[in-house]
Amino acid sequence: MTAVISHWSQENQSAAKSILDRYPEKRSALMPLLYVASLEHEYASDDAMREVASLTGISAAQVLSVASFYTMFKAVPVGRYLISVCTSVVCYLNNADEVLEAVEGTTGVDSGGITHDGAISVERVECIGACGGAPAVQVNYETVEGLTREKAEALVNWLRDAKPPVVLADEMQQLFGGQRSFDWGPMDPDGAVRPIPAFGPYGSVEEGR
Amino acid sequence: MTDKILTVRMDAYPADSQTLSRYLDTGGYEALTKALDQMSPEEIIEEVKASNMRGRGGAGFPMGVKWGFLAPAEPRYLVVNCDESEPGTFNDRQLAERDPHQLLEGIAISSYALGVHHAFIYVRGEYAKAARRIQNAIDEATEAGYLGKDIRDSDFSLEVTVHLGGGAYICGEETALLNSLEGRRGEPRLKPPFPAVEGLYAQPTIVNNVESISNVPWITMHGGAAYAAIGPERSAGTKMMSISGHINKPGNYEIVMGMTWRDLIFDVGGGIPDGKSLKAWIPGGASAPWFVPDVHLDTIVSIDDVAANGSMIGAGAVVTMDETTNVVAVAHRIVRFFAHESCGQCTPCREGTSWMEAVLERILQGGGRTEDIDLLLDISDNISPGLAWPPAMTTICPLGPSAVSPVTSITRWFRPELEAMIAGSEVAVG
Amino acid sequence: MADNAQVETVSITINGAVHEVPAGELLIAAAEDLGENIPRFCYYKKLAPVGKCRMCLVEVEGPRGKALIPSCTVPVSDGMVVDTESTVVKKAQKGVLEFLLINHPLDCPVCDKGGECPLQDQAVEFGPGESRFIEQKRTFTKPIPVSELVLLDRERCVLCDRCVRVADDIAGDPLIEFIDRGNHTQINTFPSEPFSSYFSGNTVQTCPVGALTSVDYRFKARPWDLTSTRSVSLADSVHSTVDVQTSMGSIVRVYGVENNEVNEGWLSDKDRFQFGAFQDGSRVTTPLVRDADGFTETTWAEAMELIASRLGGFLGSEVGAIGGANNTNEEAFVLGRFMRSVVGSPHIDAQIGDGIDPHLAAAIVDRATINNLDEASTILLWGPDLKETLPVLYLRVRKAVLAGASLVVVSPYATGLDSIATHVVPYRAGSGPEVLRKISQGEDEFAAVGAMLGTGPVVVLVGRTSLSEDPRLVEAAAAFARTLPESRIMPLLLRGNVFGALDMGLAPNLLPGRVSTGDADAVALLEDNWGPIPEGPGKGTMEMLASLVDGDLKAIVLAGSDPVRDCPDPQTAIDALENAEFVVAFDAFVTDSSRRADVILPAAVWGEVDGTATNLEGRVQRLGASTPPLGKAMSLATALDGIARFMGVEMNCSDWMLVNKEIATVAPAYGGLTADYLTFEAGDDGAIVPLRGVVQPLSYLPTDVKVPVVTDRFTLHLAPSMYDDSVVLRHATILSSLHGTAEARLHPKDASALAVVDGDVVEVAGIELPIAIDVRVVPGSVVLPFNQIATKGVHATAAVNIQAVRGDV
Ligand SMILES: Cc1cc2nc3c(=O)[nH]c(=O)nc-3n(C[C@H](O)[C@H](O)[C@H](O)COP(=O)(O)O)c2cc1C
Ligand code: SF4
Ligand code: FES
Repeated sequence: MTAVISHWSQENQSAAKSILDRYPEKRSALMPLLYVASLEHEYASDDAMREVASLTGISAAQVLSVASFYTMFKAVPVGRYLISVCTSVVCYLNNADEVLEAVEGTTGVDSGGITHDGAISVERVECIGACGGAPAVQVNYETVEGLTREKAEALVNWLRDAKPPVVLADEMQQLFGGQRSFDWGPMDPDGAVRPIPAFGPYGSVEEGR
Repeated sequence: MTDKILTVRMDAYPADSQTLSRYLDTGGYEALTKALDQMSPEEIIEEVKASNMRGRGGAGFPMGVKWGFLAPAEPRYLVVNCDESEPGTFNDRQLAERDPHQLLEGIAISSYALGVHHAFIYVRGEYAKAARRIQNAIDEATEAGYLGKDIRDSDFSLEVTVHLGGGAYICGEETALLNSLEGRRGEPRLKPPFPAVEGLYAQPTIVNNVESISNVPWITMHGGAAYAAIGPERSAGTKMMSISGHINKPGNYEIVMGMTWRDLIFDVGGGIPDGKSLKAWIPGGASAPWFVPDVHLDTIVSIDDVAANGSMIGAGAVVTMDETTNVVAVAHRIVRFFAHESCGQCTPCREGTSWMEAVLERILQGGGRTEDIDLLLDISDNISPGLAWPPAMTTICPLGPSAVSPVTSITRWFRPELEAMIAGSEVAVG
Repeated sequence: MADNAQVETVSITINGAVHEVPAGELLIAAAEDLGENIPRFCYYKKLAPVGKCRMCLVEVEGPRGKALIPSCTVPVSDGMVVDTESTVVKKAQKGVLEFLLINHPLDCPVCDKGGECPLQDQAVEFGPGESRFIEQKRTFTKPIPVSELVLLDRERCVLCDRCVRVADDIAGDPLIEFIDRGNHTQINTFPSEPFSSYFSGNTVQTCPVGALTSVDYRFKARPWDLTSTRSVSLADSVHSTVDVQTSMGSIVRVYGVENNEVNEGWLSDKDRFQFGAFQDGSRVTTPLVRDADGFTETTWAEAMELIASRLGGFLGSEVGAIGGANNTNEEAFVLGRFMRSVVGSPHIDAQIGDGIDPHLAAAIVDRATINNLDEASTILLWGPDLKETLPVLYLRVRKAVLAGASLVVVSPYATGLDSIATHVVPYRAGSGPEVLRKISQGEDEFAAVGAMLGTGPVVVLVGRTSLSEDPRLVEAAAAFARTLPESRIMPLLLRGNVFGALDMGLAPNLLPGRVSTGDADAVALLEDNWGPIPEGPGKGTMEMLASLVDGDLKAIVLAGSDPVRDCPDPQTAIDALENAEFVVAFDAFVTDSSRRADVILPAAVWGEVDGTATNLEGRVQRLGASTPPLGKAMSLATALDGIARFMGVEMNCSDWMLVNKEIATVAPAYGGLTADYLTFEAGDDGAIVPLRGVVQPLSYLPTDVKVPVVTDRFTLHLAPSMYDDSVVLRHATILSSLHGTAEARLHPKDASALAVVDGDVVEVAGIELPIAIDVRVVPGSVVLPFNQIATKGVHATAAVNIQAVRGDV
C-alpha cells in the first residue's frame, strides 16, 4: 500500500492508513479516501482516483463510477475558495437568485467556473440544510446564512482581498450573515483551508484564530 | 407535562450544550448507565416499542417494530442517518451540532439493545460542522468511558464511526445510504431484503434517523409509556419542525403534535411577513404534496391527519409561500431538485423528472403549450400511477414519485394560474 | 444432458389461468416458460436481477390490493396472482418505453442492432407514433472505442446495467462502469484504462440495443440476411457452444449459445473473434509443392499422387504424424487410420511435446465435468492460468467460487483466479514435487491448505503450469487428487480438439476409444475393420523430432501443427524438419513449420467442416460447417481418403457421416454417440463419453520420487497467454494487435542481486528481453511468456542464466 502513495505527504499517508482502519471492509473507505486524495492531488484527478483504487483494491473505473456520482468530488481543479450558492426552493423563495447573481457578478464567473487567478470557484447547488436562514451559501462547505445581494458581494470581495487562510463559518456569519436557522451556540474554532469539508479525521480542517 | 425533550439543554445552555461537561451536568449518560446496569437489551426494546415513537426520518415507521425485525446474525450494525438533504429540513443539523452527546447516548443505548458493536453515523458531506461536533463528542465520550471498550465497566463495547457523504440527496434513502457507506454509488437497493435482515455488508442493520435516536435516552430514562402519553396517540412524543419559506420566525421548533396548522404557522412560526397572506405551504418537505389555507389551515398537525389529507409530515419541514409566490416557479425548483438528485437507475425517475423539469422551464420562459398540463400530469402518472399519496410507484424508491408532488399540487390548487401563464405566454410568444 | 431431478413447484395465477411453476423462480422467467413474454431490458437470465429499467412491471395482488412490481425481481410464491395485461400494466410499460425513447437517437437505419432490437420492436408494438418530447435530446460523442474490440454509442444506451454486470460479476473485470448520475449517467471506462477484458464480446452480445458493438461486425450485415449455424468453438478445449452467423457466404459474427453444461452462453473473445483468421487473405487455398524456386501451385490430384508415391517409398515405421488437435473427431480418426493402416506407422501424436500422458488426459477415471464445479466444496487448480488459457473454464470456476466453493491455486506464478482464491500456493518453478509432498502431508505452512483439501467433494484441475514443467508432476498431482474425498479430476490440455484427437487414437500409446495400444481385444477389433496395424506404442512428438534429426524417421506428416512454434524445443523441431527426407503439411497457413514442408495441402478449417468434437470433460458435441472451404481447401479426411486411394487403399472416409458411424463401431466408448444422436436442437448440450468401466493403466509416480530442481541458475516458468503469436491469432484481424509485450519477470530481490531495474535489457534463454520487476514472481525464478514475438524460439529448459546486457535508455 504505502508503495503506491509513498509520494503523498506524511500527513495524508497516515490519514489514509487510519481511514482504512476505521472500516470493516476496505471499500468503505473509498469516499473518505477520495477527500484525502483530493487534498493531495488538488482535486479528484485521474491520478487521485488511481491511488484510491489501489488503496481500496478496486478498479480505477469503479472509483470513477463512485466519485462521479457525488457532487463534492471535483473532476476539475477548484479554487482555494469554493462558493456554493443554494438556489433550492426555500432559498429561491428568499431571493437566492439575486445572491447567485451577485456572486457570479462579483467574481465574474458563472456557476461551475473558476476565476482567472484560480482563486475562487462558484457553483449553484441544491439545498444545503440552511433553509431557516435562507438564502444561504457555503464557502468551502462552511455555512453562512441570511445573505442579501449586497452581503454576498461583500463576502466575495472579502474572500478575494482578505484571503482568509482558514474559512470560519462564525466569522463569515458575523461579517456577512443575517437570519440563522437556529442559534449556533459558541464560536467554532475549526474551519476549512481548502474546498474539501473541514472534518478532523480527513478533510481540510484547521483551527482559526 | 413535558413538552420538550430534545431541545431542553441547547435552549437552556446555548453557550456549551455540545460539551461533555454540560451534558453530564444536566443528567447526561444517566440513561446509558441505567440501561447497562439495570436493563436487559430486551427490556429496552420493549420500552421503545411501548413509546410508539415513529421514525422521524420521513417514513414514520414505528421504531420499536423495526428493531423487532433485526435478524439474529452477527455482526449487526446500527447506522444513523444524518444525511438530511430534503429542501426545507434542517433539524438534524441542529440536534447534531448542538447536542451531539444526546445523539451518542441514544446510539450507545440502542446499540446495547440491538447487540451492535460498531455503529456508523452517516453525515452529509455539506454538514462538516455537524460531523466535527459529533466527532469531538465521540472523542470526549470515549475518553470518559461512555463509548469504546467495556463501557462503564460493563462488558459492552461500542465503536462509533462518523462517515462523511459526498453530496447526494438520495443517500438519505436508507439502502442508498448503505451502498454509499460501502463505497458504492448511492443507488437504492431492491427490497426485500430489508436492511434489518441484510443491510451493511449484507449483515442485519438498523437504520434510524438522528432525531429518532436522540429520543432514546429520554425513553430509557422515563419509560416508553411516558413517551407514548405525549401528544396524539399515533403521533406520540415531540417532533422537531423546521419552518421556513415566507415566514416571520423561521427556525426549528420542538412541538407536541395535535395543534392545527394555523397554530403552527401563525403562532409558532409568527405568520407571514409584511402582512401578506398565506398562499400555500408544504407540510413535510419538498417531497410532500402541498396544502392550501382554504382547505387545510384548521386541520391537525399529526402524522395520520396529514396523511388523511393526502400529504405527509415527513421529516417535519414546513415551507410557507405568501400570496406573491409564483407557484409554477416553485414547482420548477422542486422538480429540478429531484431531477438533479435522481440516482438514475430507474428509467421513469431518470427520464421523467428531467422531462418535467424541461417542460416547466419552457413554460416559465414563455414557451408553454395548452397540452403541457396534460403532458405533465401524464408523465407524473407514469412515474406514480394514480397520482395519490402515499404514491404508487413505477420506481424503486420514492424519489421519483416525490418529484410528482409539486406538479400535482399546482395543477390541483393553482390550475387557473398555470393556465394563465401558458395562455399569456402563447400570446406573448405570438 | 441435464438431470431431471424432482423440482418443487408452486401454483400461481397469471391473467386468470392457474399454473404450476418451479418454486423460487423469478416471475419473469416463470411467465416466459409459460409463453407469457413480459418485455424487459435490464433482466438477463444469467445475471442477478437489478430491476432498473422498470419495463417488466406487472400487477401482483398483495395485502393492500394490486401493486405494480417489476417481475424480474420477485420470485414466484404459492398463490401469487399476477396480471400482465391490465390497463395499469400496459400504461406503465408504455410509459417506460416512452421514457426510454425520449433521449434515444433515431438512427435505427444505421444501427447494427436494427432489426433485432427489443427497443425497436417494442416501439413498434406500443409506439405512440409521434413523440411528445419536444425538448433537446441528450447528446454524447458517438461512437467511442472502449477497447480495440468494442465501440460504445452512449446515446443509444438504455442504462440497463447488463454490460457492467457481465464485465464485473461474470468476468471479474470491472472496467466498464456507470459514470455520473441521474440524467447524466453514462457507461464508460476510466480515461486511460480501456475495457481490455478477455470477455468483452459478451457485453456486445448482451447489450439489448446498439450501444455496444464490435469493431469487426460494424455495418457488416443486417440481421435479416444472416444465416446461423450451431457449432462449437475450437479456440480451446472447452468447446463453448456457438451460433456461427454468415452473410453472403462468409462468417460475420459468432454468438455464444446458452449450453448450461459448458459455457452458459458466455464466450471468450478468442472464441468470438478468431474466425477472422480463417477469412484472411493469407490462407493457403491451393496445394503447393516445393521446387527449386520455393513453392509452386499445383492441383490436388498431382499433389496427392506425389505424396502417395513419396510416402509409399518409406517403411511404415520411418513415417510419423504430428497434429490433428485442431480437427474434428472424424478428421482425427481418419488421420489415425491412415497412419496406422495405410502408411503402417505407430508414430502418431496430437500433442506437441507440451502435453501430458495420453492415458491421464483421455482415460482418467472419476473425470470431472464442468458442472461438477458447481457442486464442489473445494476446487484445487494445479495447472495453467485458466484466465489465460481456458477462459470460459475460468468463468465457471469463478462462478463456483463466488457461490461458495473454496479454491486452492497452486502455481509458480500469479494466476487470474488468485484474487478470489482461499489459498494461493506459489512455488519456485521446478520445485513442484517438493510442494506436492508438503501439501499432501499437510506439512508446516500447508496445514490449512491440507485441511481445506480434506473437505469434499473436491474437484481437481490438473495440467502443466508451463512448458518448462515436467509433465510427470501432473501425474503425481493427479495421483494425489485421487486420495482426496469424493474427488473428481479434470485433466487440462489446451488446444482445440486435442481431447477428441486423443480419443480418436492420435497418441503413440492409444487406439481409438481411449484404449491402450497393448489391448489385444481392441487391436483385434480394429484389424477386423482396417486390416493389420503396427504394434504400439509408437513415438511421441519429441521422440519423432529427435528421430528425424538422427535419421531413424525419414518422413513426417504435419496435420495443422506447428512444432517449430509450439513445441518446447524449437531448435530440434527446425533441425528435424530440415533433415527430414519428406515433409507434408496440411495447413491453412504458411507457418514456421509448414514453410519447411515439401508439400503444403490447403486445409479446411473450423467453420468449414462438419463433424463432432470432444472437450476437456469428454463431452462430444456437433460441429457445423457454416461456409464452404475457402478456395480449394479440403477437409483433412477427404484429402487423406484421396491419398490413400493413390496408395491403393480404399478407406471410404470422404463422407464424415460414414466416418462418424465407423467411430461408433471401432471405438466402443463412442458407441451410440453418433451424429444422429448429437443434434443441433435447442437445449442439446452434447453427451459425455462414458467410461464403460474400463480402467486404463496409469503410470502414476509416487508423490515423492522427484527431488526439486536444485540449481544456482534461475528456474524458468514459460507459460502461455491468451493473446500469443500463434498462427490463428496472427491472422485474426482484430485480435492480431492484442498480443502481449514480452518481458522477463523477476522478483525484486533477484533484480537487485543482478543490479538491474525495470526496463533494463537482459539476455535470458538465448534472447534479449527487458526486465519487469514483479513481486508475484517467486525468488529464484524467471517468468517468460510463451510464444510471443519476442520469445519465439525459447527452449523450455528447466533453468537458465540471466545476463544484464544494457540499461534502459
Ligand atoms: C429519497 C429519500 C430521502 C431520504 N432522506 C432521508 C434523510 O435525509 N434522513 C433520514 O433520516 N431519512 C431519510 N429518508 C428515510 C430513510 O430511508 C429511512 O426511512 C430513515 O432514515 C429511517 O429512520 P427512522 O425510522 O428513524 O425514520 C429518505 C428516504 C427517501 C426515499
Ligand atoms: S426512483 Fe430515482 S432515485 Fe429512486 S432508485 Fe429510482 S432512479 Fe434512483
Ligand atoms: S427487466 Fe425488470 S426492471 Fe428491467
